[in-house]
Amino acid sequence: MSRWPRSLSQRLALMFALASAVLLGAICIYLYQSLAREIAWRDDQALLGRIERMRALIDESADLETLRRRPRLYDNMLGNRDSLLWILDDAGQVRIAVGPAGFNVPPLPPSDGRTALRTVEGTPSLRLAWTRVAGSEGRLTLIAGRLLAEREQMLAAYRVRLGLALALGAVLAYLLGLAIAVRGLRPVRELAARAAAIDVRHLSQRLDDGASRELDALRAALNGMLARLEAGFAQLARFSEDLAHEMRTPLGNLMGQTQQALSRARSAEDYQNLLVSNQEEYERLARMIDSMLFLARTEQTAAALVREPVALQELGDQLCEYFEGLAEERGMQLLNTAHGMLVADRELLRRALANLLANALRYGAPGTTITLSSAVSAEGIEIVVHNFGPAIGAEHLPHLFERFYRCDPSRQGAGESGGLGLAIVRSIMQLHGGDVHAESGAEGTRFVLTFPLDTKFMVDSS
Amino acid sequence: MTILIVEDEEKTADYLRKGLQEAGYPVQVASTGHEGRQLIAQEHYELVVLDVMLPGVDGWELLRLLRRSSGTPVMFLTARDAIEDRVKGLELGADDYLVKPFSYAEFLARVRTLLRRGGVRESERLQVADLELDLLRRRVTRAGGRVELTNKEFALLHLLLGREGEVLSRTTIASQVWQMNFDSDTNVVDVAIRRLRAKIDDPHPVKLIHTVRGVGYVLEARA
Repeated sequence: MSRWPRSLSQRLALMFALASAVLLGAICIYLYQSLAREIAWRDDQALLGRIERMRALIDESADLETLRRRPRLYDNMLGNRDSLLWILDDAGQVRIAVGPAGFNVPPLPPSDGRTALRTVEGTPSLRLAWTRVAGSEGRLTLIAGRLLAEREQMLAAYRVRLGLALALGAVLAYLLGLAIAVRGLRPVRELAARAAAIDVRHLSQRLDDGASRELDALRAALNGMLARLEAGFAQLARFSEDLAHEMRTPLGNLMGQTQQALSRARSAEDYQNLLVSNQEEYERLARMIDSMLFLARTEQTAAALVREPVALQELGDQLCEYFEGLAEERGMQLLNTAHGMLVADRELLRRALANLLANALRYGAPGTTITLSSAVSAEGIEIVVHNFGPAIGAEHLPHLFERFYRCDPSRQGAGESGGLGLAIVRSIMQLHGGDVHAESGAEGTRFVLTFPLDTKFMVDSS
Repeated sequence: MTILIVEDEEKTADYLRKGLQEAGYPVQVASTGHEGRQLIAQEHYELVVLDVMLPGVDGWELLRLLRRSSGTPVMFLTARDAIEDRVKGLELGADDYLVKPFSYAEFLARVRTLLRRGGVRESERLQVADLELDLLRRRVTRAGGRVELTNKEFALLHLLLGREGEVLSRTTIASQVWQMNFDSDTNVVDVAIRRLRAKIDDPHPVKLIHTVRGVGYVLEARA
């Protein structure tokens, strides 16, 4: 296909020309053959007519000599240089020969009383009609012939003319096709022009419905892409804004308390307190940057996953051990019923579950149990972190995993997570081809990690 | 035991130098790659701390140079936490790396580890003041009395005892004891230390586990 021109219009015009050439060619062949057949039929009729006339002449004449002496008659009758006439006697001797000299009588099978027709190939070719008649001097064979050269020449000229007409027709078809294609593809160019006019600042624009139904699919696809781009851009813009705001708080603390402390001389202890407080803010900033980098990197899917079989029970026990002290301080218990092996990135899975458990410890009701469990459902392989506690409003559930999202905007960074912990969980799950969602109600809150069913999972026998 | 710091950022070089000197190590600072190359050619160092983003001769070049001539341990510092950078540094023969911003306690701990490497054998019995830990029998005693610890409490105490006198950051502790290699936003480490203190220190007048505010924790017998 590489030989095809790149332009769609030219391609269409070329196909148009090709189709026209095939069609015209078929018509030309049909016409030519009709004509050739018609001419041949007429020639044959002329030959047969001549034979009939000769037969009449022979009937009228007393003998061949009388006939020969009426040359004018058959001169007139023959009339041109293409026609031949022979009269043979019973012995096969040429008695009368009219027409251009130099032709021998070709051997012919005897006719059975009716007039026979035959083409004799040779140089030149001849078309012959012959019959036998009873004359006054015994039986005679009448042969009328016609040279085919002239007919061939005429047909050849006709062929050339047809060929020229065909070529001209194809060229015209190409030009016509090009004009039609260029005009017909105008909606495509208009669509392209409209699409080209949309830049970053005008992402909310959509390609309006044009007149052509064929382009609707393309237009819908482009509009869909624009919608996704717009959402992505909006998210990115909101994210940058959020980030700036989030960094402003620790920076404001740092600047304010440092300036306040420097405004006059203070005790060594005061300075120490200031430095410790500053250190906390620095750590908050560093953590935020770390999380941001992590998110940025997991979103470029180039980040490589190290997949390995992970024993869920062991991982759960590890995590429970890690959070045990914290849970006890809040009068909570950790229960791990997860089991089986899951092929996943161990570090990332650990991080996701640690974030969920930290979240559950932060918002769970004191005196209750936090459960880590696993299950295989129709949707996939699920790992669930469940805690009892106040329900999360249904309006918040879809947004929980957005960066910097807070159910209560007035509550600043509870637990210093900076609002990125759950976003990181979602990123990790997307890297694994899975997803995370939250359910909340009177029976507590469930965070569900769903791995796709084709993830390798083994339920161990124990 | 001289340590060479090759770092063009003045403030970074300054606090690293001060910190290492306070920890008792003689330190030299080179602020450009060329200077670093000269010093490496002239002197012998126990450890080279190398910023890889240097004007002139860059850190990678210096690292190649060092590896060609000696087995001096090298720790490189980088602000770019790209995996390729880390892999490149380790492939070129660096012994360790830290991504900026790093915690100072973490830095000092890594320096100590590199200088100690291949040195002291891990002891089976650790002792500070009247606190003893027997690794084989998994027994801990304080002033002769048996102290019952959970597995993780034992691991935490083992870490603190093994690094006696070193300030350990929360990140180091979380990573060494629980294999949590990321900053979780919880005070899990503080809680664990509090619980360990309740068993080790609270019944005794002399406290061994100390909080270094804003940095981390250290176990040592203070006069």
